[in-house]
Amino acid sequence: MNKIIKIALSVAVLSSLSFCDDQFSMSDKDRAMYAEMLDNNPADMTVASGEELLSYMGGPAGLAKYLGVSEEKLPEYIAGFPRYIKKFDMVVGLDQVLQAMMHDGGHKPLELKSGNMFEMLTYVKSLANDVPINIDVNANQQMKDAYALGEKTFNTKRGGRGLSCLSCHSPDVIGSVLRTQPLPDLGVNNSGGTWPAYRMTKSSVSTLQKRFQGCMKNALLAVIPLGSKEMVGLEVFVTDKAKGKPIAIPGLKR
Amino acid sequence: MVKNLSVSLLLGCSLFAADYSSIIEHPDASEIIKKDLLAPAKVYTMPAGCITTDAAAIARGDYIFHNLNGEKAKADAPAGLSKKNSNGSTKQFGNCVACHNIEGAKGAGNIGPDLHGYKQNFIDSGARTTQFVYQKIADARIDNPDTHMTINLTTKLFNEREICDIASYIVSPK
Ligand code: HEC
Ligand code: HEC
Repeated sequence: MNKIIKIALSVAVLSSLSFCDDQFSMSDKDRAMYAEMLDNNPADMTVASGEELLSYMGGPAGLAKYLGVSEEKLPEYIAGFPRYIKKFDMVVGLDQVLQAMMHDGGHKPLELKSGNMFEMLTYVKSLANDVPINIDVNANQQMKDAYALGEKTFNTKRGGRGLSCLSCHSPDVIGSVLRTQPLPDLGVNNSGGTWPAYRMTKSSVSTLQKRFQGCMKNALLAVIPLGSKEMVGLEVFVTDKAKGKPIAIPGLKR
Repeated sequence: MVKNLSVSLLLGCSLFAADYSSIIEHPDASEIIKKDLLAPAKVYTMPAGCITTDAAAIARGDYIFHNLNGEKAKADAPAGLSKKNSNGSTKQFGNCVACHNIEGAKGAGNIGPDLHGYKQNFIDSGARTTQFVYQKIADARIDNPDTHMTINLTTKLFNEREICDIASYIVSPK
């Protein structure tokens, strides 16, 4: 079967499935669907759209040039994000690099939360597939600061229920069950290397920062915006937990 | 090809680089977080008449324990409790069952201790007082600074009466 048709079919089947409450785990039927989708991740279409969008800026070669690395070294370089980039004087995620590149190429930068940006981010990160995450949180003071801010943001109790990320993702509760959902170990689970991912319960592609926002919303923490220092810090902190694990984009999540 | 060229040309011009802080989205989140911070741990004393055998109060406590919020709750709210706040927004409930098993729980979690037989096992045995239960639900940090439990009175998620309803439900014979 033609790949696109297969994908379209699995999306159709998926959207006809009534997933229960987000809080409930997979049924056997959902699990079978998950196995099927591992071969046909609907987010493969996202990657393809992202590839087309990046081609307007010279594709991977253009990106490598923009970042000042050889095309051959690009995957390894991508596997080290978020990074401090001197030219921007900021620790940035790949999506923010794309914004700067769009601007410098005479295009209006896409918003971080736009669907097209998610597509480009998914494609760009997939260029590093199979490369181990090599983020260096001690590379410079800026990265040290970003990591520290990420850790602090992760550990800060706030919101309507006084919870922090740590309340549910600390080593002593990992594996316990929250309303039938086992609490994942963000390092062992390779969260840093498996987002953007297709979320079956949402029937859409989400990025790591968007996933953070999901947990904030569910746990009644005020949702902080994509690209903020604190969000990038969280991404640095969480990505570092999966250091050495291979990048595998697009991920597929419950 | 032409695009590659223009990109590399621009890179060469980084001397005149724009101020990227106005190009790259990097909104400030510190104010949002500051306003959202949890107040310091607070000691609470149970108000008089807090723990009750009144069936209506226990029904409210039961409902708060087992539901996440007014939108997700399927059953009608019991007398004296509403699915909405006075301003029309969705009322949050305790979702205690996400972490605690208890009589009649559906899809209970196990992050917190199992509260089955709480009256016999914890209260009648003298292991816990009702004041302990009240404080635990109101602000669990007092006897456990590193608690993973939700904070329910210091955050103003619930008022005193609601904390009493929940505590009454937990210590009621089931
Ligand atoms: C009340 C509990 C709770 C809190 C608080 C919480 N999480 Fe989660 N988180 C979960 C659960 C449960 C899952 C798994 C849900 C699923 O499988 O869909 C999860 C999943 C995740 C994942 C995806 C893991 C993967 O790769 O599959 C990430 C990343 C994450 N959380 C980060 C955070 C961050 C960052 C915060 C704080 C801003 C946070 N979480 C706060 C319960 C929580
Ligand atoms: C995110 C997880 C979580 C949620 C939600 C939660 N709890 Fe807990 N609870 C815990 C943990 C962990 C403990 C044990 C550690 C401690 O005592 O702080 C605990 C302890 C308790 C205890 C003390 C048991 C004993 O005698 O030692 C009571 C009572 C209790 N919770 C009631 C509630 C009620 C009522 C709610 C809802 C309003 C609730 N919990 C919501 C995690 C949770």
